[in-house]
Amino acid sequence: MSANLGTIAFLSLTVLTIVPALMVVSTRNLVHAGFWMLPCLIGVAGFYALLEAHFFVVVQVLIYIGAILVLIMFALMLTRDVMNPKERQTNGLGAVAGGLCGLGLLATAHLLFRHPWPAGDAVPASAHDQTVALGRALVTRYVLPFEAASILLLAALIAAIVIAKSLRPPDRPAGCDGERQGA
Amino acid sequence: MIGLPHYLLVGSALFGIGAFGALTRRNAIAVLLSVELMLNAANLNFLAFWRFLDATAMEAHVFVLIGLTVAAAEAALGLAIVLNVYREFGTVNLDEIAELRG
Repeated sequence: MSANLGTIAFLSLTVLTIVPALMVVSTRNLVHAGFWMLPCLIGVAGFYALLEAHFFVVVQVLIYIGAILVLIMFALMLTRDVMNPKERQTNGLGAVAGGLCGLGLLATAHLLFRHPWPAGDAVPASAHDQTVALGRALVTRYVLPFEAASILLLAALIAAIVIAKSLRPPDRPAGCDGERQGA
Repeated sequence: MIGLPHYLLVGSALFGIGAFGALTRRNAIAVLLSVELMLNAANLNFLAFWRFLDATAMEAHVFVLIGLTVAAAEAALGLAIVLNVYREFGTVNLDEIAELRG
């Protein structure tokens, strides 16, 4: 890819990622916020493609867009008042949080462009070789984090079932000040 | 020419936006969306470092894979908790759920 084309791709992906991300945190309609997440995640997948991490382009689309985003949309639709434009969606911290995050971003940008980074002329392996190397790494040197991730997923699976099942009977009125059921 | 700092800048912008959303949103699910933005920023930074510092190392890939796993587990568990809170309190607005406030 020529340098010029890479720059254009990078800039358009930046717009494709940052603008929807701003909409996600600012729009009042939460279902729209969920849908704005979609171009943002696609933009990040595009960055992965630009970085030549081919495997994670597919993983990003499959797991983030295909699983996590759909799960969040379901949860949004199961709760109420998410599309009510009159419902206040922010607390009073907007100015403080905006100032804090903006200041942090400025400081990071300042440090980033002052640091002498290496040129990064290394060429990554092909998509096939990368995936093979990742599979090898996961069952040799990095088998412990791999198994830890398996245990994390198993624990999350069981915990999600336990949390979803441990509701008190629905005939009792919600919101009363009686005892809350334990886990 | 686009280099490592540009990618890291996009990553920090994404993280900053996510942090802003997590701090200002009232709805618990919107806060979860913002947390997903921050996790994405972290993954983007990992892969940018991988590409520009050592494109033969596998550490970044393993980190991103674990990060994705954590994100999936966080989303599933967080949403299970949010739905339980909704059935218990009738709202998912974090400033109205003050049961444990002293």
